[in-house]
Amino acid sequence: MPDESRLATADRPLVFAPKPSRAPPSSAIGPIAWMRANLFSSVSNALLTLLGAYIVIVVFAAIINWALVDAVWEASNRRECLDKVGRAGACWPGVIAWIPNLLYGLYPKDQVWRINAAFLMLVVWALPLWLPGVRSKLAIGLSAVLLYPFPASYFFHGGEQDLLWTALIALGLAAFAWVWLTTFSERFTGLSFGAFVARVTGDAEQPEESARLRARIGYAVLYLAALALAAQWSLSEVPTRYWGGLFLTLVISGIGITFSLPAGVMLALGRRSHMPFISLCSTAFIELFRSVPLITILFMFNTMLPLFLPVGVEVNRLVRAIVAVCLFAAAYMAEIVRGGLQAILRGQYEAAAAVGLGFWQSTALVIMPQALRIMIPTIVGNFIGLFKDTTLVSIIGLFDLLSMARAVGEDTTWLGLFLEPFFFITLIYFVFCFLMSQYSLNLERRLGAGQRR
Amino acid sequence: MPQDALAADPRYGRTAPRRGLTLSWRDPTMRSIVWQIVIIGLVGFAVWWLVANTMRNLEVRKIATGFGFLSREAGLPIGESMIPYSPADTYARALLVGVLNTLRVSLIGIVLATVLGTLIGIARLSHNWLLARLAGIYVELLRDLPLLLQLLFWYALMQGLPGPRQALNPFGSVFLSNRGIKFPWLVWEEAHTAALLALAAGIAGTVLLARRFTARQMATGQRPRLWPWGLALMVGLPAAVWAAMGAPFTIDAPELRGFNFRGGGTITPEFAALLLGLVLYTAAFIAEIVRAGILAVHTGQWEAAGALGLSRGEQLRLIILPQALRVIIPPMTSQYLNITKNSSLAVAIGYQDIVSIANTTLNQTGQAIEGIAIIMAVYLTISLSISVFMNWYNARIALKER
Repeated sequence: MPDESRLATADRPLVFAPKPSRAPPSSAIGPIAWMRANLFSSVSNALLTLLGAYIVIVVFAAIINWALVDAVWEASNRRECLDKVGRAGACWPGVIAWIPNLLYGLYPKDQVWRINAAFLMLVVWALPLWLPGVRSKLAIGLSAVLLYPFPASYFFHGGEQDLLWTALIALGLAAFAWVWLTTFSERFTGLSFGAFVARVTGDAEQPEESARLRARIGYAVLYLAALALAAQWSLSEVPTRYWGGLFLTLVISGIGITFSLPAGVMLALGRRSHMPFISLCSTAFIELFRSVPLITILFMFNTMLPLFLPVGVEVNRLVRAIVAVCLFAAAYMAEIVRGGLQAILRGQYEAAAAVGLGFWQSTALVIMPQALRIMIPTIVGNFIGLFKDTTLVSIIGLFDLLSMARAVGEDTTWLGLFLEPFFFITLIYFVFCFLMSQYSLNLERRLGAGQRR
Repeated sequence: MPQDALAADPRYGRTAPRRGLTLSWRDPTMRSIVWQIVIIGLVGFAVWWLVANTMRNLEVRKIATGFGFLSREAGLPIGESMIPYSPADTYARALLVGVLNTLRVSLIGIVLATVLGTLIGIARLSHNWLLARLAGIYVELLRDLPLLLQLLFWYALMQGLPGPRQALNPFGSVFLSNRGIKFPWLVWEEAHTAALLALAAGIAGTVLLARRFTARQMATGQRPRLWPWGLALMVGLPAAVWAAMGAPFTIDAPELRGFNFRGGGTITPEFAALLLGLVLYTAAFIAEIVRAGILAVHTGQWEAAGALGLSRGEQLRLIILPQALRVIIPPMTSQYLNITKNSSLAVAIGYQDIVSIANTTLNQTGQAIEGIAIIMAVYLTISLSISVFMNWYNARIALKER
């Protein structure tokens, strides 16, 4: 008997309705089928799988046994560890005892809060960048890059302030306060801090000039308050030779990263410039720094910077390393930015010129945003490389994370302890680099949304 | 006639009017000239300032200038050298030893890293899920750890090996100890050099023959068999030369004498650690380059190759890799340059490459500027040579478009 529902009637035309497809045979679904397709599709594949599985099991079992199962967690020196398990298990107490040094170097213990406070300040400073409803994100980002270094370096180094130094620190503090004041006022009233001050102090009917004046007075009051605070602020001096560990690694790579991007952009523009002398200078700088290894540049600045400066001027070891890292990173960044610039079509330049933009305007508003967006993965890759390359400063005698890890084994209590601190800092480096690369992938996905079809 | 009319028109054929230079900020040429003068002034001042300071400093510190020190006796001991060297030799020879050591580790590293990296890159695209994941973990892990950390790890591992008396002996008379890897090696004689030369000639002959056979295949559609010829040229010829010169064959096996090994070939722990670290680290980057290159080849190429009945290995070897090479070569060049530059980390583990020796030289003589200049000259030369070679190769394999 024909299925009534499939017959056409006057009010219901015949529509093609395919039968639901049958379930795949049990041999094509489920974990067994997946394994047959992906692990044992042929004899050679099966052998490879077995070999791979064997390696995985052996390696992971060895690591887990060493790091967790056979490990010693409580001991007062290395001898005790060796007596308990020999070399079969890790001796973690040595690493645990050294964690403060691995993180902060030889920074005085009672002053370590300053480092934590400064890093916390950076996080709080940058937090509004991820908050919805905040409009001055560009200004906030710029203030963090340009002005955060002043209070941060006072936190880190401390010591006497002269007048200029106080003024700069106050600028940083005022910017920090402004970031959060403007964040709040923008979130709750939709007005930036200046406009908010103008609104509160006067009524909206007053002329615009007076509103602007009142906003300026608001800024001035903010700065004076910061100045009063900065003048009161006094921290004991911690010379850079006590800096070390993860803290030093982050300081060097942080300065290198923030310096390299703008410097790289300028060098790339210089290299592509039509002015022969400027292009020559930029090219020579870039090629010279790219052709030699970083370690040579570090040696060079370490031994030659004192020769280059006037007689009697002493340059701090850390500063020499930072200068070397910055110049090196800038040369590499310049080539990346140049690659991005080359990918921009001529039409973009012509269109920018057609709407009447000059060189700097068209570069800043039209060309650079596109060029930098194309190169984000490469730029972040370069940042990761720079972060890894900061380990080289240990060769010229700075106590970065890597040299602190090597110092553990030279401590008489933990003599010869090597693998454990290395394992620990390996995790730190891996987590930092992995997070950076994942963030870059995420950024690429979000910013590339307009490019995808 | 329009042509005549055009010629008669006085406006025809005139060049654009030459605008004279105006003394105004609005004139781009003027602006560019002013900018360049400013920059020339700044750069010139900076250079003058640096040079003047350096001169004064050198004077104050009584440091000599010039390359005269090169012919003085170096007095620095070098652990491993490819040419005869003793501390009584000159600085120039010590630096040459350093250059050769750099070249040795870089060249071997480049070859090994390319092979390993290509294998891992292909493995990451494998249909075998486990293999692909393992390759992925390898790449992510090794790329994200600083090279110096890895080098120190391998070096510590090498030094953690037992002493010569308790040396590990994996097979035959190969010994692993904290003095390095010892292995049996031929007692080198002239016949071996001759055989090597014959092998080189054999390879060249085979390549020429392969080209002629390809030409014949193009002309007639028939490809003569190459492998008997290749075998004769590359195995038969060297063997014949070797046999004709008396077939010397003495194996020099390492033996434990007292506290150390005697005889045999040696790979020092420094060299082994540096090579291992460089190869494993760079292979991770090369794997990503190879993977990206293969992915850049259109899927249709795989399908077309499959439709022709080629196996997956043949598809990869004959169709995909030659096309992927075009994408792969430029980034690969920079990885080769990276290996060369990264080999300077040798200084951290005591392998005496050019940076290490030049650094000792500049510490001994105090002539920092000359020392750095030598290092820069060496690396510039090596970098330029690699770039020139890779650019030539790149031009050769580039897509021939009509």
